[in-house]
Amino acid sequence: MKITGIELYSVPLTSHVTYYMADGKVCDRVDSTILKLETDQGVTGWGEVCPIPHYLEAYAGGVAPAIQELAPILLGADPIGPEALMARCDRHLQGHRYAKSALDIALWDLTAKAAGLPLYRLLGGRQVEAAPLYHSITCADPAEMARIARDAYAQGIRQFQAKLGADQDWEADAARLIAVREAVGPGPLLYGDWNCGATKLHAIRVARAAMPCDVMLEQPCDSLEACAEVRHASGLAMKLDESVHDLDSLLRAQALGCCDVAAIKLSKFGGLGPARRARDLCLQLKIMMVIEDVWGSDITTAALTHLAVATPGKYLLNACDLSGYVTPRLAPDGPERDRASLRPSERPGLGITPDEAVLGTPILTFRRERAA
Amino acid sequence: MKIERITVWHKELPLSKPYWFSGGRLKVEALDSTILRIDTADGLSGWGEGCPWGHSYLPAFGGGIRAAIELLAPFLLGQDAGQIGQLNRLMDLMLPGHQSAKSPLDMALWDLAGKRAGEPLYRLFGGAEGDGVAINSSISSGTPAEMVALIEAARAKGYRTHSAKVGGPNPDLDVARINAIEEARLDGEFITFDVNRAWTPAVAVEVMNGVTSNGWFEQPCESLRECAEVHARVKQPIMLDECVHSFQDHLEAWSLRACEGVKVKPNRLGGLTKCLQVRDFCLSVGWCMHIEDLGGTVLADTAALHLAYSTPLENRLASWLCHAHLTDECDPAPGQGARNRDGLAVLPAAPGLGVEPSADWLGPPHAVYGA
Repeated sequence: MKITGIELYSVPLTSHVTYYMADGKVCDRVDSTILKLETDQGVTGWGEVCPIPHYLEAYAGGVAPAIQELAPILLGADPIGPEALMARCDRHLQGHRYAKSALDIALWDLTAKAAGLPLYRLLGGRQVEAAPLYHSITCADPAEMARIARDAYAQGIRQFQAKLGADQDWEADAARLIAVREAVGPGPLLYGDWNCGATKLHAIRVARAAMPCDVMLEQPCDSLEACAEVRHASGLAMKLDESVHDLDSLLRAQALGCCDVAAIKLSKFGGLGPARRARDLCLQLKIMMVIEDVWGSDITTAALTHLAVATPGKYLLNACDLSGYVTPRLAPDGPERDRASLRPSERPGLGITPDEAVLGTPILTFRRERAA
Repeated sequence: MKIERITVWHKELPLSKPYWFSGGRLKVEALDSTILRIDTADGLSGWGEGCPWGHSYLPAFGGGIRAAIELLAPFLLGQDAGQIGQLNRLMDLMLPGHQSAKSPLDMALWDLAGKRAGEPLYRLFGGAEGDGVAINSSISSGTPAEMVALIEAARAKGYRTHSAKVGGPNPDLDVARINAIEEARLDGEFITFDVNRAWTPAVAVEVMNGVTSNGWFEQPCESLRECAEVHARVKQPIMLDECVHSFQDHLEAWSLRACEGVKVKPNRLGGLTKCLQVRDFCLSVGWCMHIEDLGGTVLADTAALHLAYSTPLENRLASWLCHAHLTDECDPAPGQGARNRDGLAVLPAAPGLGVEPSADWLGPPHAVYGA
């Protein structure tokens, strides 16, 4: 099989609920980039990446130039067995993991389609029937966050992430966690996420105040060392996100003893291949995982669902139904939330068929010149 | 000092001869440079340049630099160009990472600050020490005899510090190269053996313990941790380059005791402002530095050399000039800026960077942001 064409599409995704995070960061309307690989066998592979502003070293406008830089490597190459081709891409253009993530997902889609198997069977086989979902609650006043939590609870959600820090007020953050805990009762998992926006002092004060209501902390500060100090001073379990983005940072987090849970986001690591390697390391290190992506719609949601169900349930904390947070849906047959869990398609590959009418006109197209 | 307009040019810079990285892993024939000018409401203009060394050396490439400038420019328009630290923080908030795109913008802000102060940049960076900045040669990888011949040719041009590219799949060949170069070294000459990440820790330990040289070895392995492991088991001082990207990385290198020096490059760290912070940290822990840019014309070279010139001689190793490796047509400002004369570059005393690219050379812009 050979890659004969690459098309990139840009689709603006609008959040159902505007999303407020620490340091004035907002997620409302963002551009998702969809990548389509065409082959000489008529099989098509799909990938997606959707960076959000101010969050990681990634932006929508950076995807197309990176794919353009890689196009000479890709056109004519054999897509089967994604790691080999991705290694060539990594030698040609260092970094830019987020742009490579869309490409890597599309290569896995093609590989699984060529094998005639649903993708999860290439990523380790079915380990769980369905991936449990969490619900992320925007940073608002405590009563509003409690209301959102109750609605999600009624839909079957039992894991809640409360965004903190939008007003730099530690007492408000403590009140948010307490209000959400009251709303969902004892038992469900609740974690407060600062997205790097807290100082150590702020995070420790919130942790101490909220300790009686059984919470986990997520990424309070922007360095691993600072997060480790908060972890040790508070005694509360910690999830890391922004600070863990490759095997080396996972190993450092483990050495610092601050990583009870890691967010394995596909585009942070560079796609399904690197995320699978991170998952396998986490299993070895006994780190639980949230398998998700930064943002996106059906293509990335399908990809993360396949990886999530191929992960042992003991270490799979949850996954994220990203396409449920945004509109439009890119693929009518994309994974659907079944109460509080996600199940992958049984069709070959990602098992989704993007609606080309929603994708619109490609923003960039590369075609391989046919040999005479 | 309100920023009114940012004009961006895309220039291809052919090298006068193709350049092979250590071990022949990578061939570079032309560089892709982004040059920009920031115009302010009071009529001053500042120049910057961002030019990665090809697309495979660091996570930076020309197309990405221009795409990131397109994102950043609207946030800078209307801002006070004198608030350099604030504008750096603004850029970091608006776009985490992508330091190679921030460097030319920050460079132009410093050019403006120097012009406004009526001072050359080296005086804003701490003041001059010495007569100029020593320049090092760059010795392409080859057989031991070829590399010695290149060093002899560089010596004839006045160079006394040489950066010799080694590192490949054959450790015996590397030992032979290094020993031949050390054998041919004259008193008072300095050699840095630049491995550009080519060795595994095992090969690094084997080669470095098997050679006669006690000189600097640069970036022997890929990661900071690998370099730190090697450092604990060899006699030579280690210089880090490609594995340090942020101030935090330098702190980690220090806490791991991974090196005695680093290369300080605006395009890798994200501009002169971030380089200043790293430079001052290095001074406080006693490290040595090669201060130079990743690539570019006399514009980027001169900006980095202002910082070198203001760094104490004790901690300052020689600098490399990219523009010396470009064809003659790649000169935006003939006669201006820091240029090599017998192994030394004298910095311009004009306010700011002291390099004003000519409109004829630049040609039509790639993009204009603002009025």
